[in-house]
Amino acid sequence: MSEFMGYHRPNGDVGIRNHLLILSGTVYANGVVERVAHTIQGAVPITHANGRCQVAPDLRVTRRFLAGTAMNPNVGGVVIIDHFREEGMTAEDLAHDIAPTGKLIATVNIRGGGGFISAIEQATRYAQDFARRISLYQRAPAPMSKILFGTECGTSDTTSGLGSNPANGLAGELLIAQGGRMLMAECTEWMGCENWLTEKAASPAVAEAIVAGVQHMESRALASGEDIRGSQPTGDNMAGGLTTIEEKSMGAVKKIGDSPIIEYLEIGEAPTRTEPGNYVMYGPGMGAESISSMAAAGCQVLTFCTGGGHTSNHPIMPTIKVTANRQSYELMRDTVDVDVSGVFQDEITLAEGGRIIYDEMQRVCNGYLTKSEALRDNNSFAIHRVGPSV
Amino acid sequence: MKKVFVVYATDNVGTVVLEPIQRGDRVSCNGERRDIEIVAQDDIAYGHKIALMDIAAGDTVLKYGLSIGSASRHIRAGDHVHTHNVESNRGRGDLAQPGALSAE
Repeated sequence: MSEFMGYHRPNGDVGIRNHLLILSGTVYANGVVERVAHTIQGAVPITHANGRCQVAPDLRVTRRFLAGTAMNPNVGGVVIIDHFREEGMTAEDLAHDIAPTGKLIATVNIRGGGGFISAIEQATRYAQDFARRISLYQRAPAPMSKILFGTECGTSDTTSGLGSNPANGLAGELLIAQGGRMLMAECTEWMGCENWLTEKAASPAVAEAIVAGVQHMESRALASGEDIRGSQPTGDNMAGGLTTIEEKSMGAVKKIGDSPIIEYLEIGEAPTRTEPGNYVMYGPGMGAESISSMAAAGCQVLTFCTGGGHTSNHPIMPTIKVTANRQSYELMRDTVDVDVSGVFQDEITLAEGGRIIYDEMQRVCNGYLTKSEALRDNNSFAIHRVGPSV
Repeated sequence: MKKVFVVYATDNVGTVVLEPIQRGDRVSCNGERRDIEIVAQDDIAYGHKIALMDIAAGDTVLKYGLSIGSASRHIRAGDHVHTHNVESNRGRGDLAQPGALSAE
């Protein structure tokens, strides 16, 4: 079986990075988080607009995103900073969720001892200590079956459904053959090809959850006045050559392969199953929220298939951009990692494209930096909202 | 000879991803199906589909090896394949009832 060199965590997870997270529990701690992360070598700040005045179901999703991000195998230690003691969302609540991973955790409350400056001092001392301690962790061999491989598509064009997505699905099949798991979210894009997904469902319960997930997303959009199914494919899509909703959706979901779908997950939820195969997750098409939900679920690495050439990059989950549009690759060479446009020029087959993507993914698992990672263009942490601010 | 791309070996349509096609052009395939050569019956733009063989009215139009709809009338090899001769089986955008879920 194929191996990679990763960081073995106390709970058996294996990370492909060894990040120190400075995690904001609430929007009002973001300033302290940024100062601390700025001071400490390699520290990654996670800031956001949530954590206050949310309805309970929405706050639970925020908590899952924040705790899940810290629980991701790519994180070696975390310093959590909060301010007000929001019920169900304190630094201690987050620490409680993260604790079973056995990784280094510290909490700091800004009101706990003098305010902004004191909090920075206290958190910076924790962060310095953690940064040094996790720097002692060494990479060691691990089977590729430890990899939960997330996949996303965005700024899709004609080349996406025909080239980068099907090649990516074949890359996923290569990982699954090694015992690994592939995760796809974006259930808005399942609309119109639910049957292709349900036929692959490992159980009737998974199939029912897939259909219910699409219906739920659709009804949420309808409640806001947007008929997302009735407007598909859009006029632009039709002008571009897409004829039916199933054609459009197939182009998107072909970024996973033909293996069975083992489990359906709620947004940001980690799989409970370990069998090799595909996993699917409820969530929006919005790229940053979607990939953040997959990082929270524990994906160590993600491919982002993009027709137009995306900049998306998650702060702790290396985000490999793949295009089959040669012009986009040239225009976005700074951030797009892999070009499989050769499938259209008869230079490579789709299977060879899949191998190219898999090999790049395995290199990144071994420590090779993606282009956006090298640039620290950490633009894509975002939390999905399921309720209003109150 | 112009080329269209075929994404799966059992597909009966190909997609224009290189130069656009004019009526009368001889067309062959890149991708997963190499055994076909046809003459274009229509001008076909980038991103649009061409029939690789005759598709009878009511028959399934296959891309990705899967149904993307049914022929709403007889389609000849080389015809442009789009909304004028294909119907969704899952609720087409311009016909769908708000909130309607798929038939299956």
